Amino acid sequence: MLSSAVPDPETRPHHAAAAAQETELQSDVSLAASVLARDRKAAAVFVERFSGALYSYVRSRLAPNHDAVEDVMQEVFVVAWQKLPAWSGTGPLQAWLTGIARHKVGDYYRRRLHGLAPWEELNSEIADVSQPSFDLVIDRERDAGRALAIIAELPETYRLILRWRYWDGMGVNQIAEHTGRTGKAVERLLARAREQFRRRWQNE
Amino acid sequence: MNDEKPETLDTLFENLAEISEKQRGSELTRVPSVLKSRLFSALVRQQEQAAPLMPLDECRQHGADLCVFEQIVAISPVGENLKSKNPCEICHARLLGENVENAPIYWPGCPYVKFQNR
Repeated sequence: MLSSAVPDPETRPHHAAAAAQETELQSDVSLAASVLARDRKAAAVFVERFSGALYSYVRSRLAPNHDAVEDVMQEVFVVAWQKLPAWSGTGPLQAWLTGIARHKVGDYYRRRLHGLAPWEELNSEIADVSQPSFDLVIDRERDAGRALAIIAELPETYRLILRWRYWDGMGVNQIAEHTGRTGKAVERLLARAREQFRRRWQNE
Repeated sequence: MNDEKPETLDTLFENLAEISEKQRGSELTRVPSVLKSRLFSALVRQQEQAAPLMPLDECRQHGADLCVFEQIVAISPVGENLKSKNPCEICHARLLGENVENAPIYWPGCPYVKFQNR
């Protein structure tokens, strides 16, 4: 019957999206196989296809320290090559690579937080963190850029802990585990970082 | 993050992260050609360390364009061992690509040329 052969207009976009995803996945699988077969031309396509999104991610997490971006990117691609045989091929390669990048950025944060000034020496003046709300309202689109600029100018320890916690969704206990600190110490550092942000936001 | 009432800083950061990630996702990011060139060189070195590279004529059979130097290597009466080496290692295009942004290189089929943001 014709009606069963022609997709319902309501569901047609979903079919198209699913078909596009399937095509993209097939392309990823084919590219990964060629890279693993040591096809150097496929390696060039691999870099061209995935470096943009990975660069955007890594750069946003390390800003304003752009000097370290290249090293982290190199680490991501080296690990990607080493682990590519283990990629399942069931999900987009881009997402898998971003997972590797997230780990590498986490390693970078851990190293930096270990090497920076002891947390206890940072400004310990903090607001009452049990206070449920602050007199601070940020308009979505208009102020997001300004907020990011303020974060980029915070002391590095504050900047990294905020990004790790909120941008990469790391839990307090996970950060504590990675940095060898207690959950309480991480909470205190986060509270100080948030307070620094609040002060700069209100003073600018 | 709304205009109606203040929110906790914790919630504010969660929302800020969400907004900025959406904005980042919609922006077109241009990767420096130097970085792409270095990533490619590093990746090919990794491939080469694992085992001999795929011979160039086989790459061509897979639909890849070869640069003029690679074509010479591919048709030369030399052993497979040499054809599996990476001629880019001794090519000025690689050196320029890895060190000069928008390098003045224009060889058709050269990956370092394709990485240029022109």
